[in-house]
Amino acid sequence: MTVAYPVNLAVVAFGIVVMAMGAYGLTYSRNLVRQLLSVEVAFNGLLMMLLPLLSMNTSSATYFGVVVISVVSAEIIVVVAVLVSYYRTSRSMSSDKLEEVPE
Amino acid sequence: MNWLFVWALVMGFVSLIAAYYVVRAKDFVYASSALAVLGSIVAADLAILGFGIISAFLVIVYVGAAVMFIIITLSLLGLREEERRNSGRGVIVALLVAALWSGVALSAGIYGLYVEPQPVSMTTTVGGLLSRYSLVVALIVIAQAATLVEAISVARRGRGN
Repeated sequence: MTVAYPVNLAVVAFGIVVMAMGAYGLTYSRNLVRQLLSVEVAFNGLLMMLLPLLSMNTSSATYFGVVVISVVSAEIIVVVAVLVSYYRTSRSMSSDKLEEVPE
Repeated sequence: MNWLFVWALVMGFVSLIAAYYVVRAKDFVYASSALAVLGSIVAADLAILGFGIISAFLVIVYVGAAVMFIIITLSLLGLREEERRNSGRGVIVALLVAALWSGVALSAGIYGLYVEPQPVSMTTTVGGLLSRYSLVVALIVIAQAATLVEAISVARRGRGN
């Protein structure tokens, strides 16, 4: 009987739990900064989970990782800029007040 | 004894602690610092698996630039405000996400779990990116430049308010 490579199995299992914790933080708080940080936790969990699953073709997994990390880094910079602009306008980081922001 | 497996377990537990701290810490600067720790732990996990290039890329680009940008911005803003929290809804969503992705991992990635990842050299990676995926690389460079311009313009728009 073939046995799964244990390191792959451990990293995938922990990745799923980390991603679930990110989803927990995203939904339980109404603060935009907490939601951004939780999305990043979920991204780290996704990276831990998906890369071992792509280990049949390691070079494709490497290309995938490089592209995903580049895109996520760009996304962080844009979201933080939007949050700074929102905070200067409304003096709050609560997502409840998003509809009240003047254009 | 497989020491790589032991190290993967240790790193996994530390990543759980860091993720919990990011989600629950009251101070956002401490929470984002824990995110930097989490990114470094994930990089270590990937290095254990044999993805050395992604590990270095994660530390340099993600932790070194993006997460540090979050930490510095939050330090300068000095946010101090109460959060409205709803733990019940969060637990339900977390359980759903865990169940969904466990299903995905067990069905789609079942063959990947049996294979030990083989290390890829930097020459192979860069060669592949520049030959087979040159259009993707060009698009990423353009997107990064556009992102930079967009971030600066968005951040300057709020000045004076």
